[in-house]
Amino acid sequence: MRVLAPVLLLILALLASISLDAPLPPADLVLIERSDCYTLDPQRMSYQHELRRARVIYETLVNLRASDCAIVPGVAERWEVSPDAKTYTFHLRHDARWSNGDSVTSSDFTYAWRRAILPDTAADYSALYFSIRGARGFYDRRTEALKQFVTRPKDAQELWRTTASDFATTVGIETPDAHTLIVHLDVPLAYFLDLCAFPCFAPVHPPTVEQFVTIDPTTARIVQRHDWTKPGKIVTNGAYVPTVWRYKRDMRLEANPYYWDRAGVLAKTVECRTIENPNTGVLSFQSGAADWLTDLGPEYKTEMLAQRKAYLARFSEEMNAGLARGELSDEIVAQLPVPGPGERRDVRAFDAFGTDFFSFNCRPTLAGGKPNPFHDARVRRAFALAVNKDELIERVTRLGERVASTLVPPGSIPDYPVVTGLGFDTARARDELAAAGFVDRDGDGIVEDASGARFPTVDILYSTASPRYQNLALAMRDMWKRELRVDAECRGKDSKLYKEDLKKGYFMIARGGWYGDYGDPTTWLELQRTGDGNNDRGYSNAAYDARLDAARAETDPTVRLAKLAEVERWLFTEEMPLIPLCNYVTVYMYDPSRLRGIGEHPRLEQDISALRRRGVKP
Amino acid sequence: MNAAPNSVASLIARRLLQLPFIVMAVYTLTFMLAWSVPGNPLENPEGRRPPAEIVEAMKKQYKLDDPVGFYFDYLGKASGVSWALGWHDRPFDLGPSLKQPDWSVNEIIATGLPVSMTLGLSAMILAVLIGITAGVVGGLRPGSPLDALTQVLAIIGISLPSFVIGSAILMLFAVKLGAFPVGGWGGLRYIALPALTLSLPFAAYISRLIRFGMIEEMGADHIRTARAKGLPRWKVAYKHALKNAFLPVLSYLGPATAVALTGSFVVEKVFAVPGIGQNFVDGVLGKDITLVMGVVLVYATLMVVFNLAVDVLYRFIDPRIG
Repeated sequence: MRVLAPVLLLILALLASISLDAPLPPADLVLIERSDCYTLDPQRMSYQHELRRARVIYETLVNLRASDCAIVPGVAERWEVSPDAKTYTFHLRHDARWSNGDSVTSSDFTYAWRRAILPDTAADYSALYFSIRGARGFYDRRTEALKQFVTRPKDAQELWRTTASDFATTVGIETPDAHTLIVHLDVPLAYFLDLCAFPCFAPVHPPTVEQFVTIDPTTARIVQRHDWTKPGKIVTNGAYVPTVWRYKRDMRLEANPYYWDRAGVLAKTVECRTIENPNTGVLSFQSGAADWLTDLGPEYKTEMLAQRKAYLARFSEEMNAGLARGELSDEIVAQLPVPGPGERRDVRAFDAFGTDFFSFNCRPTLAGGKPNPFHDARVRRAFALAVNKDELIERVTRLGERVASTLVPPGSIPDYPVVTGLGFDTARARDELAAAGFVDRDGDGIVEDASGARFPTVDILYSTASPRYQNLALAMRDMWKRELRVDAECRGKDSKLYKEDLKKGYFMIARGGWYGDYGDPTTWLELQRTGDGNNDRGYSNAAYDARLDAARAETDPTVRLAKLAEVERWLFTEEMPLIPLCNYVTVYMYDPSRLRGIGEHPRLEQDISALRRRGVKP
Repeated sequence: MNAAPNSVASLIARRLLQLPFIVMAVYTLTFMLAWSVPGNPLENPEGRRPPAEIVEAMKKQYKLDDPVGFYFDYLGKASGVSWALGWHDRPFDLGPSLKQPDWSVNEIIATGLPVSMTLGLSAMILAVLIGITAGVVGGLRPGSPLDALTQVLAIIGISLPSFVIGSAILMLFAVKLGAFPVGGWGGLRYIALPALTLSLPFAAYISRLIRFGMIEEMGADHIRTARAKGLPRWKVAYKHALKNAFLPVLSYLGPATAVALTGSFVVEKVFAVPGIGQNFVDGVLGKDITLVMGVVLVYATLMVVFNLAVDVLYRFIDPRIG
């Protein structure tokens, strides 16, 4: 019997550990996400799936309606804008409450916004606040004071008191009473309400957060332990409260009993599972364990989308008739018969609020001091004109993406005109390169400049995070070799190293990409501003910066958007700091005959609280 | 040697004295490797970047600009020495995760480790059960078709990588038959498939150990004597042969359990099991130094403890071993 002792011991240990881990009761809605939230602190978020969850955990002053991205009341039931468009007065609803029953007040917003602006918080989106009067100056003074403190330490508490009163007196946020919030802007900002709907502008519950905040006596920085975001401690003012959060496993949201619009919350419990492996995620969805898989892995997209296409082709008449009646395509699909073999309707691709591109290094010299041929806009135009984007979509990415010639995805911003940039024109590409002085003078198949020096081997940098970028880089390399007679080499790097090379400018052409943060063209156009933190191209043009400033000063919204469209047109017909390739697509898995409420607006700001299983009474 | 150093108590005492030195050596080696990984853990792979001065300040806060300071500071906090000296408010503080700002390394380990342990232990139980059955079946009738079959299965179990076996098992039992959930965790139904996948290479190895042991034992003198006394074959096999054939398995179980607990990364990925293996690999890839160091410290300690437990068990089963 002694032989069995270790086995028995193992079994006992196992039973003990299983008994501690009982499954949760089924939820009204189950989501599968590719990664867990990094944080539930709204001021520190930056990832799409986090922001999506924050939209239902917290409520901002105003909300973006998922179906059309219109601004609708949130915590503020109404607001006024001054005639000079620089002062916003928000009237907070009296029935807005935190999940512990406390009233949501204007000072909760001030507190949260101050956190976001303070350099101590290291919020990714501090800069979005800089249009508020005095915010930038406050940020700079605090940064400087912290820097000074390290060399000449004094009383950290004293410094904090100075900082707090500096904020109260210089930053243009006023709280005349608990339910009124007045914000003064430096300049009129047409998209300020859109910013106010961004989850980083959500309030936090100050008494909860304060318990986790200390002032570090050696650096004077405010240090926050982030435990306050954990279930049991976290206090939220949105549709849901997180009640379970197990790292990289699952998060459970329960309807917030104090939420003012609780009747509008359709699923009372939501389970968000994290499944990192795309294969397992798809199989899990197909086994019926989830209602919505928010990010379909690249391995499946092409094949599955083809199956959807086959299904819709069979019912194209019904589809077209329904669309002509103005029905949403999900509603039509839900009424169609069950898909046959080789068909499916539980997958759908949306054009996302993001653009895939390759950047040129626009700096005058390359790293190492060599002259950079891509400093010349003619060379950049030549390279852009030589790329056959239709072929890239057809043969390389194969997701049916919309080809892009500019950055702002068409139709994503109301009233912003569709701008067209340079297309595909190999003859003109060669002319542009020749105009820049590069022609094949000795007939060896490579272009040379006037002194006979060959065009340097083009260094194309991409990240090995996904085969997509390697394939794109290789295909474009061949296009450039063929059409422009240059030598080019692709250099794949792991994401971290790629990011470092990008920042240091160790490349000539590099993979890029951007998702818009808010509903205004400037979320794209500011990327090209001299010195912008995300201007990987090192593009610097005083004329461009001045034109952005001019548009910013414009108070008439229509004129302003027209000016921005003109700037974008000029950028992508003349300057070409980057080659836009296509708009990203986001592929969801959900069956419209089982789940309703997925929004179709290109910004894909989904509202989890508006989703519900069909056949389930709210 | 006198009797005292061989007693169980002195074995435990000796191992526990060695423990800090082993863990220190592992800590130092891991630290040097982790520090030399390029990249900055405070930077996100995608999206916006914080301003340079903020990155600098955060580096300072986490001592990422000072390897020597980091090394001793972390060691002090993790080992509890800083706490004992009154410099820190809690013992065994493995620090905040640099990549997951809402989680401390202690919390991450506390969520993931029990899951990995459960998975690993279940796999070891399955491995022992499957391995012994297959080994005895083959070992009692070497050369029979049944023996050939278990041998072939064992070779497959050892040589096929677990992501292949795992995916096949997933497709068969979860997708085609629908008998088990596809992925996730919580209750026995979720454990079965990943535990089976993880157990197969161990089961295969155990079956081979048992098979050889049984063949050898069944030909030994005392077995022949027992058979001559008229004891039935199965009783001889179970009572006499298996007991001795099992000893090499037991010494294999110690390190194997450690491997099953720590090396279940691939299986965790395939079955979406929220264990520590996945977090550890993500930590290494993202240069999340505090997470990597914390997990390595815990693992190193566990390894020493498991090996000790096996040695103690060994003496319990066979007191002749010293």
